Amino acid sequence: MASSDDSSLKAVQVKLVLLGEAAVGKSSLVLRFVQNDFNENTSPTIGAAFLTQKCRLENRVVKFEIWDTAGQERVRLDRYPDPFHSLAPMYYRNAQAAVVVYDITKASSLEKAKAWVKELQRQASPNIVIALVGNKLDLVNDDAASSAVPAPPVDAADDEDEVKSTDGEDDEDTADEAGSSKPRPAAAASTSDSLRQVYTAEAEAYAKESNLLFYEASAKTGQNVGDLFTEIAKTIPIDTIAPKPVPAGRRSGAANAAQTDGNVNLGEGSQAKKGGCC
Amino acid sequence: MSLPLHLRSYKEKSKDELARDYFNIPNQDAFAPVAAGEKPVLQKVRNRLDAGGLQGMDINAVLSVEGKEEVYAGRLSLLPPFLCFNSVDRRSCRFTLPLFTIRRVERLNSRAGVFALSLATWHGMRIILQLTSLLPTAEHFSILLRDALKAQLAPMKQLKPFLPSFYSEFLIAGPSTQHNVDKHDSLLLGSEIGEKLQQHLDGEGDLRGPGSEGKGEYQRGLGETFGFPGDARKMRERSKMKLWREYFIVHGRNLTLIRYPPFQRLLQVGLPSRLRGELWEVMSGSVYLRFAYPDTYKQLLSANEGRSSQSTDEIEKDLNRSLPEYKAYQSDIGLAKLRRVLVAYSFRNPELGYCQALNIVVAGLLIYMSEEQAFWLLEVLCDRILPGYYSPSMEGTLLDQRVFESLVQRCLPMIKDHFTSVDVQLSVASLPWFLSLYINSMPLIFAFRIVDCVLAMGVKVLFQIGLAVLKINGEALLEVTDDGMFINLMRTYFSTIGDSAHPNHPDPRVRAITNFQELLVVAFREFNVITDETIQGERKRLRAIISDEIEKFSKRAAVRNLKSAGRFDKETVGVIYDHYFTAVCSDDANAGGLSGDYKHGDQFDQPRILVDVNGRVETRIDLRTFRSFLAGIATWAREETVTSNAFIQRTDKRVAEHELIDRLFYSWDSQGLGTLALQDVVVGLDRVMKAGLMESIEWFFNLHDKNKDGYLTKDEVIQLSESLLFIFRNEPGDIYLAAVSKFILNAYEFGDATAPPVSGETEVLSPAIDGQEGSASHVRERSDSVARPHNLPYLNLATFRMVVLADELLENFFDTDLSASFQLDRGADEDYHQAQAKTEGLLGGLMNLVVTDTNKNRFNRLTDTFGAALGKHVEWRKPSLTRSRQTEAAPTEIGQRESLLTPAQQQQIEQRQRSTSSVSQTSVTSAKSTLTTDGKSLAEVESRYREESEMVRQAQEAVMHRPKFAVDAIGDSDDEEEEEGREGDGDGDDAVMDEVEAFLKAHGADDEGLKGEQKKVANDLLTAEPIR
Repeated sequence: MASSDDSSLKAVQVKLVLLGEAAVGKSSLVLRFVQNDFNENTSPTIGAAFLTQKCRLENRVVKFEIWDTAGQERVRLDRYPDPFHSLAPMYYRNAQAAVVVYDITKASSLEKAKAWVKELQRQASPNIVIALVGNKLDLVNDDAASSAVPAPPVDAADDEDEVKSTDGEDDEDTADEAGSSKPRPAAAASTSDSLRQVYTAEAEAYAKESNLLFYEASAKTGQNVGDLFTEIAKTIPIDTIAPKPVPAGRRSGAANAAQTDGNVNLGEGSQAKKGGCC
Repeated sequence: MSLPLHLRSYKEKSKDELARDYFNIPNQDAFAPVAAGEKPVLQKVRNRLDAGGLQGMDINAVLSVEGKEEVYAGRLSLLPPFLCFNSVDRRSCRFTLPLFTIRRVERLNSRAGVFALSLATWHGMRIILQLTSLLPTAEHFSILLRDALKAQLAPMKQLKPFLPSFYSEFLIAGPSTQHNVDKHDSLLLGSEIGEKLQQHLDGEGDLRGPGSEGKGEYQRGLGETFGFPGDARKMRERSKMKLWREYFIVHGRNLTLIRYPPFQRLLQVGLPSRLRGELWEVMSGSVYLRFAYPDTYKQLLSANEGRSSQSTDEIEKDLNRSLPEYKAYQSDIGLAKLRRVLVAYSFRNPELGYCQALNIVVAGLLIYMSEEQAFWLLEVLCDRILPGYYSPSMEGTLLDQRVFESLVQRCLPMIKDHFTSVDVQLSVASLPWFLSLYINSMPLIFAFRIVDCVLAMGVKVLFQIGLAVLKINGEALLEVTDDGMFINLMRTYFSTIGDSAHPNHPDPRVRAITNFQELLVVAFREFNVITDETIQGERKRLRAIISDEIEKFSKRAAVRNLKSAGRFDKETVGVIYDHYFTAVCSDDANAGGLSGDYKHGDQFDQPRILVDVNGRVETRIDLRTFRSFLAGIATWAREETVTSNAFIQRTDKRVAEHELIDRLFYSWDSQGLGTLALQDVVVGLDRVMKAGLMESIEWFFNLHDKNKDGYLTKDEVIQLSESLLFIFRNEPGDIYLAAVSKFILNAYEFGDATAPPVSGETEVLSPAIDGQEGSASHVRERSDSVARPHNLPYLNLATFRMVVLADELLENFFDTDLSASFQLDRGADEDYHQAQAKTEGLLGGLMNLVVTDTNKNRFNRLTDTFGAALGKHVEWRKPSLTRSRQTEAAPTEIGQRESLLTPAQQQQIEQRQRSTSSVSQTSVTSAKSTLTTDGKSLAEVESRYREESEMVRQAQEAVMHRPKFAVDAIGDSDDEEEEEGREGDGDGDDAVMDEVEAFLKAHGADDEGLKGEQKKVANDLLTAEPIR
């Protein structure tokens, strides 16, 4: 285990994997979280990139080991699992957390994300914490409008079925099809910005139904990025990681605390200060 | 779902193909037409690179070039339309001359016993080739050469207008060539070049560094407008350019370039930016494609203008993320070029389409090359230099990652062992190195120098560099405990690659040595044991494993992605998949020549692969493939002829053809596409295999009820009976025939009784029924064509069922035999590739030696003839159903015996027969030669193994010589650092060449070619007169 700079807290390592369609901003989210930086155009990830970042909660320090995977199916190296290891592809083998990213300005990317969620729920470790993240929030300025949009389209359930029936290699294709066959009536719903193709309510409903954490975020502005990772850190069931001595005087039952104590996070404030979330 | 079909059609390259690859001659098979509309155009130009049936030949030769001291012995290869030479050491000297650049060939009048040819090239170079073989051989060679030259008259006319596209022409046409002009002109038989040079005499020779727009009509990259990466002064662009200019004057340029030892040196210090694009295409051979297909790129773009596909969407996403740090890619000009090249290639090779990392590679190419140049180089990269790297299954990448791992195991076992112990995968870091040719891994100026070497020396450079990176970082790598540390360590190393390798060394010259220089020295000196042959050998060894893995993955994905598996369990679906896949592959094999046609776009004309509107590729099977699929699983869908003669007994399987099979095909084709996907097949099989008695009867009924009105017409009853007879055709005895006859009788009898009355409505609709009342008595005569037309509803399901159940044999058939006739008991070919690879091994190789696919039939015929002569030739058809064997006496002894066995037992027997038959085949034909070949192949294998292990040992010794990793290799060894160090203070050409010295040493001493008498002979020839 890596040593923590704060001797009172022992850092627990959490393997986190980022998944999602190409060009939804996976690498940018990581860059924002790890270096508090943003590049407009980053090279497509080939295979996977690896970064680490610590995240301090009030009762523990979580060291994220982040696997940022390639978006294009074929350049992810893990399609052919190593026969000597487990059957689960190596990037999310033993991952304790996954961030599945979609682009809120691209409907098809949500379909791909759903396929990923399904893949994870089947292949990854059972206790994995999955967060669904709609990126590029900066491109739409209709936060209020979108959250005001009522229920998602009625065919949301159909979407589900469609995704369930396929996965693996063909995900992307099916997703594209689903996306294009159901054009979102963006103009009708929101006059402020037509770029948005995925309504908050729709994605949120899906996330709730599938038991996922949910955020809309912007790697460009940093909005919600810190919160996202903090929330993940809190939600990781503590007993699945290395046993952690609970220092006296600190609150136990971290998971519960995390759920209720939404205010207690060291998200963006400390991030800006130290260039990270701890 | 698309299946990785090509993995099975892969064939190891022939010697001739390898030779062509080595000399960077484009593979002619690669020129499949792009799209239907373009065929004529492409075929017209096709001849230009076609050998046109001309014969090639190899011969020993000694090469000398006017103006050069060195003389080299080597091998001269005529590979029409190219003439190639390679020195004995395969390093010092080589050339690939397109025959259309040779202006004149003369036989020289020389001493007796010396057969020498003088070649005058377009650029005025004179090359003397002594053919050192026996006189008749040499004469034969020169005749072949003459014929090949004659065929090149047309392209020769294209040469002149093509040349101005080279920067080197522009460069040479400067004033400082003045003194050379006369000399060259006198050599020229035509004077075009001389004139050309005269014209340009006033022009400024362009030795400028990068950045400013040059004149001339040569093909240029974005760098000419936006500036080339790196500091031109630091990179000594001017000096390099001067050296290259001198080199070109003596050794030829662009299409006539000869590689002499200085070439290697100039290459390894980094090509000058303005010449880089041209040298890339010359070294890789992509220039020959650009020459031969001058319109293809433009046509591809115009033919596909406005089209979009999944690939174009993916390309669009990545345009902004391709070397965004380079200025041109922040502008529309650069992005538009990048888009055009990637899109054009995605349409040229739709199966590959677009793969991430290609954007980076092409963005890199376009800095130095025009769009067209980059397009053709991309083709050569994807096709030959990095085969399978970017294909959808990326089998080439996976294979080379595995090869790399195995080389690390050989050369750097400590690192590999450590990585294994901490469960770190090399490929997490090395994958991008290979896929982006290091362009994405290190600063551009260094990455492009690696690209220089890859294009000049081949893919082995990628491995050598990779190994050197690991070795240099060896100490730190042994501290790595997880993937993340490994990736970070590599990233840090590459980010400091321009820094001094010895920052604290007291000697400023040593301090001036960069990490990059050190990397190249280690790569080319310590890992020069890694040769093309090493890579080929390793690829051959590991390909089977990779192919199996990919196929297994595809299988898993395909099975998982089925919407419905029917009543089959996953395993059975897997077996169905195996059969399906085998059928698709075998069909390919039968169709023949798939490898060539399949490559570019052609597969989309074939029904087996369907591309939908989204550019999604799906593997489907057509009727022909379906037949062979069904033959694989249904006993009655194949003809099994058992032949027994005095020598062997064998079973020949042939795909049967019958309307029933076609009927099955169309009834399974749920979408009416004329092709079946795996899903259709699974659903179809489910319906027949998992059905009970009643379900089967209904299924069979529906199969023949064409209009689905619930009634069979009389015609359909007949067809149904024919189908039954077809299934029963090989059953011994006549009980089945009797059963079917009875069936027809009964069907007509009951049918007449139960047929729907011909209502007034039908009468109105079809006046043909006029006058017939459908009376039962009439019908019983069975000459009822008048009584009742054959196309009217006649027999319904209930009646059919009744008729079937009236016969025990038929009842049994529908109850169990029908579904049992589909046999999914075999995992079609688990580990196909490994099995293939194994048969190429020891004993398998022996078997293949004697009986190959091609001579098997002939061999069989031969034994048949013998058998017939001996009166022992027996042939019989194997029955399809097992039941008959229990009830009826079989016509032959063996059939009778078989009939008592369960299918599984029969299977065993068949297998045994199969194996014994092949063994007996071998033993009969060549009992004697068997032993000798056996011994020989064993000895060969052994000696190869010994050679290899020796090589490995040497490599290991070389690499692990020092107990500590040789991070300080340059600081404390040899003397090259002094020369390298001097680089820091000089600014002349010497300094550039100093850097080279390190590589020279790395490559061993310069081969100065032949010495003494031989050299004298060669030099004498320079002054010899041509024979009149």
